[in-house]
Amino acid sequence: MDTSKSNLFYACEMVLEEEGIYGDVSCDEWAFSLLPLDVDLLSMELPEFFRDYFLEGDQRWINTVAQALHLLSTLYGPFLNCYGIGRCAKMSYDLWRKLEEEEDSETKGRRPEIGHIFLLDRDMDFVTALCSQVVYEGLVDDTFRIKCGSVDFGPEVTSSDKSLKVLLNAEDKVFNEIRNEHFSNVFGFLSQKARNLQAQYDRRRGMDIKQMKNFVSQELKGLKQEHRLLSLHIGACESIMKKKTKQDFQELIKTEHALLEGFNIRESTNYIEEHIDRQVSPIESLRLMCLLSITENGLIPKDYRSLKTQYLQSYGPEHLLTFSNLRRAGLLTEQAPGDTLTAVENKMSKLVTDKAAGKITDAFSSLAKRSNFRAISKKLNLIPRVDGEYDLKVPRDMAYVFSGAYVPLSCRIIEQVLERRSWQGLDEVIRLLNCSEFAFTDMTKEDKASSESLRLILVVFLGGCTFSEISALRFLGRERGYRFIFLTTAITNSARLMEAMSEVKA
Amino acid sequence: MDCYTANWNPLGDSAFYRKYELYSMDWDLKEDLKDCLVAAAPYGGPIALLRNCWRKEKAASVRPVLEIYSASGMPLASLLWKSGPVVALGWSAEEELLCVQEDGAVLVYGLHGDFRRHFSMGNEVLQNRVLDARIFHTEFGSGVAILTGAYRFTLSANVGDLKLRRMPEVPGLQSAPSCWTTLCHDRVTHILLAVGPDLYLLDHATCSTVTPAGLAPGVSSFLQMAVSFTYRYLALFTDTGYIWMGTASLKEKLCEFNCNIRAPPKQMVWCSRPRSKEKAVVVAWEKRLMVVGNVPESIQFVLDEDSYLVPELDGVRIFSRSTHEFLHEVPVASEEIFKIASMAPGALLLEAQKEYEKESQKADEYLREIQELGQLVQAVQQCIEAAGHEHQPDMQKSLLRAASFGKCFLDRFPPDSFVRMCQDLRVLNAIRDYHIGIPLTYSQYKQLTIQVLLDRLVLRRLYPLAIQICEYLRLPEVQGVSRILAHWACYKVQQKDVSDEDVARAINQKLGDTPGVSYSDIAARAYGCGRTELAIKLLEYEPRSGEQVPLLLKMKRSKLALSKAIESGDTDLVFTVLLHLKNELNRGDFFMTLRNQPMALSLYRQFCKHQELDTLKDLYNQDDNHQELGSFHIRASYASEERIEGRVAALQTAADAFYKAKNEFAAKATEDQMRLLRLQRRLEDELGGHFLDLSLHDTVTTLILGGHNKRAEQLARDFRIPDKRLWWLKLAALANLEDWEELEKFSKSKKSPIGYLPFVEICMKQHNKYEAKKYASRVGPEQKVKALLLVGEVAQAADVAIEHRNEAELSLVLSHCTGTTDGATADKIQRARAQAQKK
Repeated sequence: MDTSKSNLFYACEMVLEEEGIYGDVSCDEWAFSLLPLDVDLLSMELPEFFRDYFLEGDQRWINTVAQALHLLSTLYGPFLNCYGIGRCAKMSYDLWRKLEEEEDSETKGRRPEIGHIFLLDRDMDFVTALCSQVVYEGLVDDTFRIKCGSVDFGPEVTSSDKSLKVLLNAEDKVFNEIRNEHFSNVFGFLSQKARNLQAQYDRRRGMDIKQMKNFVSQELKGLKQEHRLLSLHIGACESIMKKKTKQDFQELIKTEHALLEGFNIRESTNYIEEHIDRQVSPIESLRLMCLLSITENGLIPKDYRSLKTQYLQSYGPEHLLTFSNLRRAGLLTEQAPGDTLTAVENKMSKLVTDKAAGKITDAFSSLAKRSNFRAISKKLNLIPRVDGEYDLKVPRDMAYVFSGAYVPLSCRIIEQVLERRSWQGLDEVIRLLNCSEFAFTDMTKEDKASSESLRLILVVFLGGCTFSEISALRFLGRERGYRFIFLTTAITNSARLMEAMSEVKA
Repeated sequence: MDCYTANWNPLGDSAFYRKYELYSMDWDLKEDLKDCLVAAAPYGGPIALLRNCWRKEKAASVRPVLEIYSASGMPLASLLWKSGPVVALGWSAEEELLCVQEDGAVLVYGLHGDFRRHFSMGNEVLQNRVLDARIFHTEFGSGVAILTGAYRFTLSANVGDLKLRRMPEVPGLQSAPSCWTTLCHDRVTHILLAVGPDLYLLDHATCSTVTPAGLAPGVSSFLQMAVSFTYRYLALFTDTGYIWMGTASLKEKLCEFNCNIRAPPKQMVWCSRPRSKEKAVVVAWEKRLMVVGNVPESIQFVLDEDSYLVPELDGVRIFSRSTHEFLHEVPVASEEIFKIASMAPGALLLEAQKEYEKESQKADEYLREIQELGQLVQAVQQCIEAAGHEHQPDMQKSLLRAASFGKCFLDRFPPDSFVRMCQDLRVLNAIRDYHIGIPLTYSQYKQLTIQVLLDRLVLRRLYPLAIQICEYLRLPEVQGVSRILAHWACYKVQQKDVSDEDVARAINQKLGDTPGVSYSDIAARAYGCGRTELAIKLLEYEPRSGEQVPLLLKMKRSKLALSKAIESGDTDLVFTVLLHLKNELNRGDFFMTLRNQPMALSLYRQFCKHQELDTLKDLYNQDDNHQELGSFHIRASYASEERIEGRVAALQTAADAFYKAKNEFAAKATEDQMRLLRLQRRLEDELGGHFLDLSLHDTVTTLILGGHNKRAEQLARDFRIPDKRLWWLKLAALANLEDWEELEKFSKSKKSPIGYLPFVEICMKQHNKYEAKKYASRVGPEQKVKALLLVGEVAQAADVAIEHRNEAELSLVLSHCTGTTDGATADKIQRARAQAQKK
């Protein structure tokens, strides 16, 4: 029996048949699952995953994710320790296990190369994705939009009249050194680099003919290349500075930090309202509203109504649908006074124990989940206590990716689980994340594994991850001696999330 | 052992032919062979007999019986022939029996007499009736060639993929050819026919006359022709008793022979081994069998009984009422070893081994002799090879023993050829057993391959033997045991007298989780036999739920298919089932089914969003999902409706739905939008310009920019635009117009709810420092510093900051102090700071 057949799109065939051209076309499948964007970053390039799954409850990509995992495990051997959190993570994982069982894979005897794999749903942590990014790579993404590992730098960056498409990855030596840095360090670093470069150029003074020949043939090309890259990044920095160092941006960051820490809520709410009234940016306004909602477990009814009204007046009535989407995805909700935590939990547990619905086929619940961000933040110590100035040049912890104000929740979860090698002791957090049924650990005996492979960790983000999260985990890797590899359905950021939820007139 | 070569008959100096018995036939033939249509499949295949009662003038009233026997005469099937007159029988390569009827219909039966299918050889054949027919084998499969009553030929080269080809006419042909045959050359089938002294070759397009090279003169008619197993050679028997043997192209003569018998032979077939130089033809008359080759003499046998010849790859099988024999040229290895007084290394080795068993020192002498010539390797190889060609296990054993004995004296003799021969012979002996009745020779077995042999055992329902062979040969499970078990299961499901439960259980017990067994294939077969319930039971054992789906769909168990598809996690599969279900069920049932399958429902919703918006609406309606219905109509109001009335109506429907959903906010917002739309329409009519689809904010802004302040105010009141928004809005609009006078008037209309800093900012944005300064003075104390800095009054800002004693403000001012111009100010601040610290 031809098993590959089942993967061909039956539905496509049917459509072709209905159109009456089935006989004239030949079908083949291109299993396009993983695109390596960088040495440590694999993307499935499925930006639609986020909306399809988290909004529409469409599970069609889960199979794709499972296939991708299957591909990786055939290439790199079985994964020794698997952890995950989230409904989608659980479903993808289960489906992947099934695939492995069905195919008597040749991987069984293989030496495992990847020690740990961590699957994480985006809806476990919307907060991090909604924050403005301040590490260089994230900032470039927020400002210029990195597409598929490359970015279009416009004339304002290239200081010529042409746009330039630039690949951003570890190959770019200048970029590689600044990508994970807090933006405040980048300029200093670049000017230092420029000085070094000049010094190297200057060396040619006082060279004799032979040395000069050597210099021209061997070093000059590299220097020129570096020079070109350097000027590009300096251009990009200037452009970012122009946009981001305005007072507005400072205020914005201040508001974000206030929301994360949970003080001056009234002031922040007013700020958001003013933001809407002034029609600053529909996407930005939406982002702030969502951030407020999630950090506060939903908006109080009065604000919920008034902010929405203001928003509709500013940006058009079709956004009524946007709000309906956001509510469904749990991004922008209303505090329900009677709805206590236990009541919600009851509903949830009833939903998940409803076995009739099948193993992985649970209804996508439109039940607004409470984010419990404040409690989680306290539990996991996401807001570092500030004593004195946070030195962004020498980061202490992952919080540096948000100027020392906030440790990304997603990364903190990963850190904690890896430390414990299980979810043990994190029960309270899991409960607060509404994920009692969807947190899992699957360990195998480690005798086969080399210590090298145990250091290698594959983090799978279902629904996208941000460059800030990647930077934070890279930092964690350096600190703890891990090597992280990222597999994401797509690179995302706050604007992309909001756009995915927005209804726009065609 | 001296008499071992007793049945060897020399043909000239170089070749021997031997005939030995395969089986003594135990069949209980009711008719004489000569009264029957006979078909025997090559490669030791089955024999079919059908009494030819149609040949005689007086048609017998009794219906004839079609009987099928194994090569050893074991009955396999017997059935009453109820169809029309049969002209010819023949076996296909798949061991299916093809019965060519007089009307050109070909009926296909299985080995066990089970009717498979039938096909027709075309209208022309139907009209002119079939005069003669042949079943032949090519590399494409099995073909049928027909000679019609109009003396035309029609053929199909592969009955599995039926394409009829009508061959060209032979000019002036008035009677049936005296003999004819099919030839296969360069993948094209030709027909060679003899009419009187002429030979014609028909290909697809042309008819050409051909003359055999070196044909003796005086031939007035060809009585018989025979083409070799591989289509390479051709033999012609003429009315002068002369036999011409040559290549099939007729261009080269190999030899000729004159037997001086003018009676037409009953059968003539080639008898030669592949790669042998000897070419010989076996000719059979009523009572006489003759082997003729390239020598003046021939070998003659007397036939006691009516016999039938079956050409094989490496010889001829001859069966009669009582025996089944094999006639072939003695292979080289056997000849070397057994030829009388042979000094070939193999012969010596065999002798040495015999002496060794007798504990005679002669063994050593023989061995030495071989070793001195350095031919021990050759000797062993010869013995192994010869063993393969022996039919009697005893002889096989002694040859293998000799080989094994010789191997002991060799250092490095790779054992695999020996081991493989032992295995092959064991398999061959097992299938040659008369219970099984497949008398394959070693060469035929190698040509056929083990896979095909296993298929043939499966075809004979000899599952246990097939499995034992697989296990014995250690074939991989997927190609071996699993495949056979799957076949067994497919047979098992056809046993209608056994209950569904028992069949399913029996199959599962045997198959278990054997890898490579597809329960869905077996279930498909069960369904093919009309046993739907059994098919479903069997599908339960299929571990891959995805595999179950296509069959379930076919069986119209779509709902079960849906849950299986969902279980498989393959959303494409789910889609397939959904689209099936949609066509199969009425809408209400379809929706109900979806309701119980949330995952499918969400998939279908996605589908509808892109493909069938109306269905989406129905889905929401069915679920009383008013919230989504509202959203649906909202979307419709700007996506699908064009006219303003339609849009307002859509919004009204949406608002109603929102009320039902108890979403008052959305309902109110929708009603507002209806009002706004109508108003915008009116504005466009009255004022011109573009208003439709602007947001409320933009509508008011547009009015102000157009100088319709009154209208703007009215609108703001009507829609209860908050003061703050109105101020921001007016500020931006007026600054945009650079209507500074109006702006100032506006700023003084009442106390600004947004403060005055925004005024300063917006003036500076429009590069109007003069106006900006006006407002800077009115900015409240907490923002004063910022405002002053904005308009560039650094010194003043410093004063205010010092007055406020605000550290943050001081730093802010300091950061604005540039170089020389503000040097004094900077000093002042530093001093103030120092003072503050002192305190």
